[in-house]
Amino acid sequence: MANVQPGRTVPPVPSGPTPSPLSRRRLLGGAAYAAGALALPVGLAGCEKPTEGGSGGGTVTFGSNYSDEVPKKAIAEVLANSGLDVKINTVDHNTFQENITRYLQATPDDVFTWFSGFRMQYFAAQGLATDISDIWQTIGGDFSAAMKQASTGTDGKQYFVPFYYYPWALFYRKSLFQEKGYQVPTTWDDLKALAGKMKSDGLIPIAMADKDGWPAMGTFDYVNMRTNGYDFHVSLMAGKESWEDSRVKQVFTLWRELLPYCQPGANGRTWQEAAQSLGQKQTGMYLLGMFVGQQFQGEVAADLDFFPFPQIAEAHGQDAVEAPIDGFMISSKVKNVDGAKELLRYLASAKAQNAYLKSDPNNVATHNGADTSGYSALQKKAVELVGGAKQISQFLDRDTRPDFASTVMIPSLQSFLNAPDDVDGLCRRIESQKKTIFAS
Amino acid sequence: MTVERGTAAERGTAVGRRNRRPVSPWRVVVRIFLWAMALGWLVPLLLPLYASLRPYAETAAEGYFSLPKTLNFDYYVQAWQGGNLPRHFLNTLLVAVPAVLLTLFFASFVAFLISRRRLPGGRLLLILFTAGNLLPQQVVLTPLYLMYTKLPLPWWMSWPSELVYDSYWGIIAIHVAFQTGFCVFVLSNYMDTIPRELIEAATVDGAGVWRQYWRVVLPLVRPALGALGTLEFAWIYNDFLWAVVLMSTGDKLPVTSALNNLRSVYFTDYNLLAAGSILVALPTLIVFFVLQRQFVAGLTLGANKG
Repeated sequence: MANVQPGRTVPPVPSGPTPSPLSRRRLLGGAAYAAGALALPVGLAGCEKPTEGGSGGGTVTFGSNYSDEVPKKAIAEVLANSGLDVKINTVDHNTFQENITRYLQATPDDVFTWFSGFRMQYFAAQGLATDISDIWQTIGGDFSAAMKQASTGTDGKQYFVPFYYYPWALFYRKSLFQEKGYQVPTTWDDLKALAGKMKSDGLIPIAMADKDGWPAMGTFDYVNMRTNGYDFHVSLMAGKESWEDSRVKQVFTLWRELLPYCQPGANGRTWQEAAQSLGQKQTGMYLLGMFVGQQFQGEVAADLDFFPFPQIAEAHGQDAVEAPIDGFMISSKVKNVDGAKELLRYLASAKAQNAYLKSDPNNVATHNGADTSGYSALQKKAVELVGGAKQISQFLDRDTRPDFASTVMIPSLQSFLNAPDDVDGLCRRIESQKKTIFAS
Repeated sequence: MTVERGTAAERGTAVGRRNRRPVSPWRVVVRIFLWAMALGWLVPLLLPLYASLRPYAETAAEGYFSLPKTLNFDYYVQAWQGGNLPRHFLNTLLVAVPAVLLTLFFASFVAFLISRRRLPGGRLLLILFTAGNLLPQQVVLTPLYLMYTKLPLPWWMSWPSELVYDSYWGIIAIHVAFQTGFCVFVLSNYMDTIPRELIEAATVDGAGVWRQYWRVVLPLVRPALGALGTLEFAWIYNDFLWAVVLMSTGDKLPVTSALNNLRSVYFTDYNLLAAGSILVALPTLIVFFVLQRQFVAGLTLGANKG
């Protein structure tokens, strides 16, 4: 660098006395950009005043997965009437669910929306939820014993306030059954006989879809609970029973009997498409949650009805009902405990549930005293069904570890639908994966 | 550019047909193959566009390949409002703009040092930066999450978490950290092509290191900065992973994650989702078509260093 040849003409360097206007503008522009870039996030973060940081009676933060337009609006209205200053943080349903562990460990909101059953117990056992047994002492009388059981952690304390639920059942069109003279089946043999009759009438008897992986879980749950009972189902889900047990194989064998009557190619069909086929009377029955009603309007919606899953083993009758419950919990890192508990007491009231369910004809309130006069025929029937249930299950992916449900059960059930003959191999594969997952 | 290339190709075949030999069967096969490939690429792009213009009820009843009865932009309006897209577009800008500027700023520093200042161990540093690109980002996901949840920030920088977690600072930092490596690689290669004499002359004229960097080198690497800026903006814009993992406030998430807002709990209206996807992809498409030259230049920069 030092040995520059003296005689050589050097290109002029834009420095010192004659700075080019371009470079000055560049400098100023750059500085402005940099300042702007750093200030913007500050501005956005600072625009919300952090006044009532953590003291009682102040703001309660509410982490919500009610991201659909209608529920989002409905829950906002309900919370606005709580008499508390509630700040809602809505995260879309899927992201909320996938991020829940990270969310609860980092900076969770005071109150958050969640599911009952194993999924609640899992986080309660990890110390990520606040014990709310004291709330249950006052609200306990407003809920059925099954509801309380679904809100109780493995340590016997309550961690959850149920808000609404929806049952799973076999849906059908009333007009189709009338037209063809079909009878609602109450036993497994009746169901198969009805399916056979539908098939000979040119219908596809049972709609089936499992593209998203979870809808087929409902069939497994029901066949298992009807064959082996609720207690076996729950302990199987908790990883305490072997999947190679003859009782589990029996479930798949029974399910296989039904497959010739089911819509073929289920793994390539979404539940919406299956529901459409029911609406168009191409299929006769469809086992799904009550949210299936979202697919229908007007005349078809009014024509929709359901019947409980038929009895398989006499000992278990039609005792258990699959009815996932949604509700609320308080995180362990809660900043405003008193406010959060007050909010939960309010959300456990019939008033709050009535207000919310006005917007939602596909769910049912959990409160015993909730106003059912505005319910549709289907909602009323759902109340009856769940009220008469001896046990309430929460759906496979809520009754077991989330990682087991998504990484093992989804592919396993899909492979069963594709190749239903190898039950032994299927159960062996599930069991070996289950051991790894539940050991972690 | 595409237009030019197209006409040139047409002219070529026209000439070929007239002057040289008749259309050979081989040529027909090639033509059919190319058309099939082009269609294979285009159909997955055109089908959502078509679906987004039709109501769900219609495609559910008649299938996606049926002829349209209704064509309108309702889904675009719905996606724009229902997905709260303006808000999330702003969030993306808040992350992408500072991140791109900082990345280029820092990378040009390092590149300048490595390429122009004979730094001891400079090449090693360059190799280190380049090697960093090969590290899959997912590997540092969990450690980073734990670190971010333990690093406090004052409330006026990060509210309500008061942590690096759930703040734009954290997201910007991780983007800068991951993108600087690539930019250093490209910029230092580009700077290598600047004649040494320029800087030597500046030294003779009494320019200090800062002045050499700011007044001599930086103006000369502007094409590279432009190309990199375009490319980096597209990459950071498309990020989904970091924001979803390191943020917990729904309203702060960038636009790529906002698409999830358009999916209902049980029901996904794929036509609406298609409209939303097109809206979200639009900025990158616009950037690509407007700055195509820079884009291509950015990808090949440094590939032909002297």
